[in-house]
Amino acid sequence: MRRAGWLVLGAVVVTVPWLVATAIPRQQRYVLHVLIFTAIFAALALSYDLVVGHVGSLSLAHPAFFGIGAYAAAILATRAGWPFLASVLAAVLAAALVAALVGVPLFRLAEHAFAVGTLGLALVASVVANNWVEVTRGPLCITGIPKPRLGALAITTLPAFYWLALTALVAVALLYRGLTTFRLGRAFHAVRDNEPLAGAAGIDPLKYRLLAFTLAGAIAGGIGALYAHYLSVMCPEEMTVSLTVNLLVIVFLGGVGSLRGVLVGAVLFTALPEVLRLTPTWRLVIYGGLLLLVVIRSPGGLESLLSRARSPR
Amino acid sequence: MPRPPDTSLITDLLEQLLHGITLGAMYAMVAAGLALMLGVARLINFAHGEFFMLGAYAFWFAYSELGMPYPLAALLAPAVMVVFGVAYQRTVIRAILPRSWHVQLIATLATSIVLTNLAIIVFGTQPKEVPTVLSSRVLDVGGLRVVWQRLVVLAASLLIFWGLQRFVARTRTGRAMRAMSQNREACAVVGVDVQRTAMVTFALSAALAAAAAALVSPLFNIFPDMGTTLTLKAFAAVVAGGFGYVNGAIAASFLIGLTEALAGSYISYAYKDAIAFVIMIAVLLWRPQGLFGRRIGI
Amino acid sequence: MPLLEVRGLVKRFLGVTAVDQVDLAVEPGELVSLIGPNGSGKTTLFNCVTGYLAADGGRVLFRGHDLTSAPPHRVARLGVARTFQQVSVFPRLSALENLLVFLQQHQEEQLLARLLRTPRVRRLEAAAVDRARRLLDLVGLGAKADAAAGSLSYGQRKLLAFAGALMPDPDLLLLDEPAAAVNPTMINQMKDHILALHREGKTVLLVEHNMDVVMDISQRIVVLDHGQKIAEGPPAAIRRDPRVIEAYFGR
Repeated sequence: MRRAGWLVLGAVVVTVPWLVATAIPRQQRYVLHVLIFTAIFAALALSYDLVVGHVGSLSLAHPAFFGIGAYAAAILATRAGWPFLASVLAAVLAAALVAALVGVPLFRLAEHAFAVGTLGLALVASVVANNWVEVTRGPLCITGIPKPRLGALAITTLPAFYWLALTALVAVALLYRGLTTFRLGRAFHAVRDNEPLAGAAGIDPLKYRLLAFTLAGAIAGGIGALYAHYLSVMCPEEMTVSLTVNLLVIVFLGGVGSLRGVLVGAVLFTALPEVLRLTPTWRLVIYGGLLLLVVIRSPGGLESLLSRARSPR
Repeated sequence: MPRPPDTSLITDLLEQLLHGITLGAMYAMVAAGLALMLGVARLINFAHGEFFMLGAYAFWFAYSELGMPYPLAALLAPAVMVVFGVAYQRTVIRAILPRSWHVQLIATLATSIVLTNLAIIVFGTQPKEVPTVLSSRVLDVGGLRVVWQRLVVLAASLLIFWGLQRFVARTRTGRAMRAMSQNREACAVVGVDVQRTAMVTFALSAALAAAAAALVSPLFNIFPDMGTTLTLKAFAAVVAGGFGYVNGAIAASFLIGLTEALAGSYISYAYKDAIAFVIMIAVLLWRPQGLFGRRIGI
Repeated sequence: MPLLEVRGLVKRFLGVTAVDQVDLAVEPGELVSLIGPNGSGKTTLFNCVTGYLAADGGRVLFRGHDLTSAPPHRVARLGVARTFQQVSVFPRLSALENLLVFLQQHQEEQLLARLLRTPRVRRLEAAAVDRARRLLDLVGLGAKADAAAGSLSYGQRKLLAFAGALMPDPDLLLLDEPAAAVNPTMINQMKDHILALHREGKTVLLVEHNMDVVMDISQRIVVLDHGQKIAEGPPAAIRRDPRVIEAYFGR
């Protein structure tokens, strides 16, 4: 019975463009746009959840990796004429490289310092994006990013982009699944829930945190590349702290450490404000307020998710 | 008569140094408040910069809109922020104080976003300028041009730091603050009113931020986003100074202010905001416990 | 050659010397207890040996390898297992999964084979699950294999932690107060388990406050007081040692 339910859901999701075209043809462009955004943010939120939910490191650096990937792809596509897949790959590698390099010193810091350090990274990345005008064109943004081509297939229509985004989301979800189950998942969770004991079990916490951080950064970079190609424009405003708040809301209000939770959270918190036509400013006020309420009121659920057992002394 | 090139270079340098010290003083007042909260109450307050921002708007409102004289407006801003600080403390802080630092971080980050965006809605994104008599008058010392307001900032900040030291060293509450920063558990046993001390510390830190805002507002533009960068730089100073060691945070703030001014002037203006983080990262890599080593207490 | 050798270990905290030039050697197959009044430095010593604290002086040698500055996971991989004074499990994993985590170190090498899930890998994983189930049965937690570790009682978690330490078949077991805060039945259970390990030839070093247990099962006892070793010898000798008596009662 459950299997049938999933199949139906899958069928609906895949055929959305046609369903929307028949039911509300005049809204089709808008609805598809919202759905594409939702898919992209869901994938991004899943990658964020790897770090926050499964390894328990409160990183605030995600916008940096998203931005690095987006800009890498944008620059290579516009200046060097790289094809879509190649620029996405470059984006993934660039973000992964930065994550690995920065992660090594960052993870040696105590928790608070780590969080502040990641925030600093996000700020530095943002400052660079805004000021390295020769490369990123700063506030003028990089424009004219060509539509993706997958071999002979050109992704020029909204439905086509929808399926591309959906495919990306499915791929990320599968990767997320694979990384958070079986022994790798157990190791991540061990580090998250009881780092000293994980050490006693032969698990190097630094190695696993760094692994999660790098993979998450890589995925964020790839999603950034996809995003840049979708909008055909990439601006520094896309990689600010508000992105972190969006991700925090999706992950914490949807369900930290749970695939379904994050997906639900992404749908709720990406699609809903669009539907309600909230201005970005009001959206942030409401999100901030919600986050505040949930975090304060939560009867320990959030706590137990993030806190680790006391160290042995 | 044309000045010889050397003199103007030195004059430039001195002006930048002064600019740096003024900047450092501002950062120091903000960072001191942050360090106090961290040291005394173990609280990570990511909304601290918003106290500065709201203090600045309070000052603007009092001075520009209500037409109050400068000293009155400058005292009103911290007063307003103390009230706001106490209200915030009663609602949010009290709820998150016993929780893990992750909760504190997310809650205060959320607060920061809410306050920043509310400020955008209420005040608009256009920066406000609050020129005062002293910010337009310039003191000319043999070619060295100093805006009077900067001297006011310096003098006032020194006075404030001196007052803070006396308060922490001499008063009962100050002693309680020091005791709490060294050994929280023992305090409750010995009869220190932990809640009240935390509340006073928070009000103090809000007042410090707002005082800084009132002092520097005539010099810089006021805009809703200004709190965010300030929080980060203050954190950088707190981290570099040793996570809760107030004097360390003050010292690190001056270091950041000077480096920012000099680097901004001689290397690149665009990247000056990143300087604070470069310093923080450098300190953390070289001496993870902060510039002044591992210390207990504020 | 002793299995574990601690030479002149020193650890200071803010002016207090918690461990003061301690020498300790454990031969293979021995069952040694480390005792001493509260604050004598026993757990600190454990933490230094297993990499949770950085020693300020001295050396720790395991089978000749210098472990002095090794981090906990490296110590574990060399064949040293430990339990913690405050019972430590992975609360959100099931009892079975808790034990499987302890085999992480042995199965990382074959990453590619693992991804492809070759028959060999599948056999290894099945063997791991099998071993975990047998250990759970051994400590009487067989029925709780799929229960979340956080839902178990204190005594059950203690047994689980003990089983976890045994999972990777370690050469040296460091048990931190295995008999603390549990009922007498459990204490006897623990004693039986430890003696069984000893009979199998495993080397055990335990920190313990419960004198009955210590006198009952130890081959050799080492006594610490204020961070210094004040006595060492078989239970009978230690029982009568005036310095030991003074350390515990003569204050």
